[in-house]
Amino acid sequence: MKIVVAMRQLADLVEELEVNADGTDIDRDFVKFVSNEWDEAALEEALCHKDDGDAEITVVALDEPDVDQTLYTALAKGADRAVKLTGHDPEGWIRTGDRAAILASWLERDDFDLVLTGVQAADDLDGQLAGVLAERLGVRHAAVVVGFHDADSAVQVEQELGGGTVAVSSLELPAVLGIQAARQTPRYASITRIRQAQQTQTIQEVEISAGGSLGGTVRKISPPKKRGGAEMLEGSASEVAERIAELIRSKGLARS
Amino acid sequence: MLAVLETRTIFGGETEAARVIFYLLALATLLLFFWGIYRRIRVYRVGRRPAGWRWLRRATKYDIPDVTARPGVSKSAAVIAANRSITKVKKPVGLAHLLVFWGFIGLFLATSILSLDYDILGNASRIVTGHTYSFFRGPFYLGYNAVFDLAGLLAIIGSVMLALRRWFSREPQLDYTRAEIPEGGYSRSKIVLGDQVFMVGLLLILVTGLLIQGLRIDGEGFPSFERWTWLGWLIGKMFASFGVGAASARSAHAWLWWVHVGSALAFIAYLPFSKALHILSAPTNLVVSDPANIRRLPAPPEGAAGYATFADFTPKELLAFDSCTKCGRCHYVCPARTAGAPLSPRDFILDLRQWSDRNNQIPLFLDSEDRPTPSGPLAGNGPLAGTVIKERTLWSCTTCMACVEICPVGVEHVPTIVQLRRSLVDRGEMDPTLQSALQNISTQGNSFGKSARMRARWTKGLDIPIPDARKEPVEYLWFLGDFASFDERLVEISRTLAKVLNSAGVSFGILYEDERNAGNDVRRVGEEGLFEMLVESNMRAFEKADFTRIVTTDPHSLNTLRNEYPAFGLDKEVLHYSELLAGLVYRGKVELKPLGRRVTYHDPCYLGRYNRVFDAPRAVIGASGCELLEMPRNRTNSFCCGAGGGRIWMDDSFLEERPSVNRIREAASLGVEYFVVACPKDYAMFSDAVKTAGLEESMKVVDIVELFSEALIGADLVEA
Repeated sequence: MKIVVAMRQLADLVEELEVNADGTDIDRDFVKFVSNEWDEAALEEALCHKDDGDAEITVVALDEPDVDQTLYTALAKGADRAVKLTGHDPEGWIRTGDRAAILASWLERDDFDLVLTGVQAADDLDGQLAGVLAERLGVRHAAVVVGFHDADSAVQVEQELGGGTVAVSSLELPAVLGIQAARQTPRYASITRIRQAQQTQTIQEVEISAGGSLGGTVRKISPPKKRGGAEMLEGSASEVAERIAELIRSKGLARS
Repeated sequence: MLAVLETRTIFGGETEAARVIFYLLALATLLLFFWGIYRRIRVYRVGRRPAGWRWLRRATKYDIPDVTARPGVSKSAAVIAANRSITKVKKPVGLAHLLVFWGFIGLFLATSILSLDYDILGNASRIVTGHTYSFFRGPFYLGYNAVFDLAGLLAIIGSVMLALRRWFSREPQLDYTRAEIPEGGYSRSKIVLGDQVFMVGLLLILVTGLLIQGLRIDGEGFPSFERWTWLGWLIGKMFASFGVGAASARSAHAWLWWVHVGSALAFIAYLPFSKALHILSAPTNLVVSDPANIRRLPAPPEGAAGYATFADFTPKELLAFDSCTKCGRCHYVCPARTAGAPLSPRDFILDLRQWSDRNNQIPLFLDSEDRPTPSGPLAGNGPLAGTVIKERTLWSCTTCMACVEICPVGVEHVPTIVQLRRSLVDRGEMDPTLQSALQNISTQGNSFGKSARMRARWTKGLDIPIPDARKEPVEYLWFLGDFASFDERLVEISRTLAKVLNSAGVSFGILYEDERNAGNDVRRVGEEGLFEMLVESNMRAFEKADFTRIVTTDPHSLNTLRNEYPAFGLDKEVLHYSELLAGLVYRGKVELKPLGRRVTYHDPCYLGRYNRVFDAPRAVIGASGCELLEMPRNRTNSFCCGAGGGRIWMDDSFLEERPSVNRIREAASLGVEYFVVACPKDYAMFSDAVKTAGLEESMKVVDIVELFSEALIGADLVEA
């Protein structure tokens, strides 16, 4: 099975993010970029399938800050091929719609059975990438996927519903899956292995002339407003305990 | 020539046939002995030799001639001759061993001299001149007997002392219970039996040797010159007083001689296959052991991530396995074992030895462990790190060096543990918390998962400027490390140190956001690539700065900067802040007001054992006018807090009692109010331990700089 894993770079959320001068994006100059954790889960799930049987994994990402690191790490973990799509502004904010368009125009040329990507990302909390990409490619799509099994020309997909219920459905291949979680925590690639990948493997670069944008324009982004912080309870232990009990009752967290 | 010929016949009364049998037996013994030794040496030759045969003795001296400086051959020989590595703890045991050691060297010399005279000189002279010459007569004979009887007596006294300890002592280090209990159980009764055979064998050889001497003298009718053979004379007289006449003495001698000779020959043949091998391997291992190895970890094997196969081990490591006498000292001092973790340095070495012997088809009659279901070193296949030695065993090590420090035969456990960890890291097998710490270090350069730009945030709120060493020349480049930069409890102490340095007029600066985790513990976790990456980042930062020497807050950073970074081009002196503070006191730069407190001090592993800085922190405590009460385990025998070697990034909830809690209880028994530390990780670990032990009311954890600062400017102690 040919699996393509689409990965994204995001500003590391441990950084103190600031809004740029125009107020239309975060200030990208001094922040460190890391790969999206749900994309890491998608890669891990693909690698687990490769460990179990025959899967050929291609990781694909758009040219973004520190993306080479992410792609080489994926190769070090066991991906077979890494592709970097260029032809856009690598420093700017790539909106999900544009990302889907660029990925789709490359995927149309490439041969694949399954595209995996993270169910969401910090700049795609509504999880549109997988859906829009599937629409663009005219293939089937499932979101919040927590596992899948190969079944001839179809794939059995497990999706998480509310309250921990899991729905199992069958999708005809090819398909795009938005991965919620892998069966295990993403594996560790040692720096030595990543460096070996850098020396022995290459990232294939493909220039894509940008497809038409789907989204609107951002007029303003702003940092979250500060709201009242923690309330410190003071007094003796029994006074504090009484106050805590009262709070728990008033929030309806305890019966009686 | 004296009127009476003072000598004895070499084979006293044995028949010609007996002589032939003796020589055949001796030949067989020597063949077996040398075959056994050859088998072992062949194993060492398989080992990976990082630099030709240079591993035997490192030839080049290292730039910084301190803790990694190797003792000269003569010094090593002196240590061996005085059994100093054994007597440094448990003096009576060391003394007993010293008696056996020199006693047997004496007896070996005695036998060699006799063989030289009778077998070599005697035969050679008879063949060449037709006349048998011998120097085993006259005054030489008398002196020979007087001296070597003393050797025999010393060996007997020592052996009896050791045997009594082995039989009656309940010391925990003599207990062979494993730290990691394999599924399906195990038995070490053969190891116990091996010890007894070794010990009883030695006693048998010694006692029968003296008895046949007495019987011979009795049988010869006590010629007066044999008074020189004083011990034999006394024993002969004892026989005579029991009514053993000359004739019965001669007949008893004839068969007891065979017991003596037989057990001696059997012992020699058995030596390469038993605990007795340490007679040869231990001194050799002490000569080739290198104090630099643990402080400056060896690189992984060429083309491999870590140890995976037998051929990855160096001859030195293979020799170390054969040197272990199972004395259990490392087992006893190990903080992991004490805390109930599945690691015992002794078991680690014994398991590797058993695995090595199995791999090389070396027969072991005794001295081996049995398991009903093959697992660990007895398992037929499976990875070295994971099957032969369990993962959780390898991850339990705090790299505190207590085992290496106390080992009387120079085994270096920690570098081998790290080599095995390296292959676990390569396979990505580790604690999830460790994995995220490594990922944080790889992306942001610190284990806290905070932005690299936040590293110098602790300087905010200080009313004094902290110079930027990248922008102005400074004398001391202050390298803080992750904990002193990011941990909420510790940044206050960093601010205190900054104020102290400022008010003492010390020229210092920091690297701000360019500092990265120094990589000491990253390397000890086994993530060599990440360590190298960190070294490269820090070296680039050092190149941007203008400074004379480095001062670190963290002893772990101190170790790698002082001992490992020089190989990557660092050529600056590296100090710990305790050394800098002590220097301020000695040079009269500061005036301190005595605090008059009763305190105890905990030696950090990487400051004390690793880098031999014991006195500077004590000088600071003394200068602050505090009375220092030493804990029973202090200086080289300090007990690890449990955080080293990357353990601070791993789960420790499975431990029966955390090492830090064990240590705090030790301090509490002294009745002191203050537990003084000189390491940020110690501050964090012991602040928690005080709470766990329920000693918050009676004991405060303080950093030496807090004492110093309070004595200097009367500042309040930061609450622990």
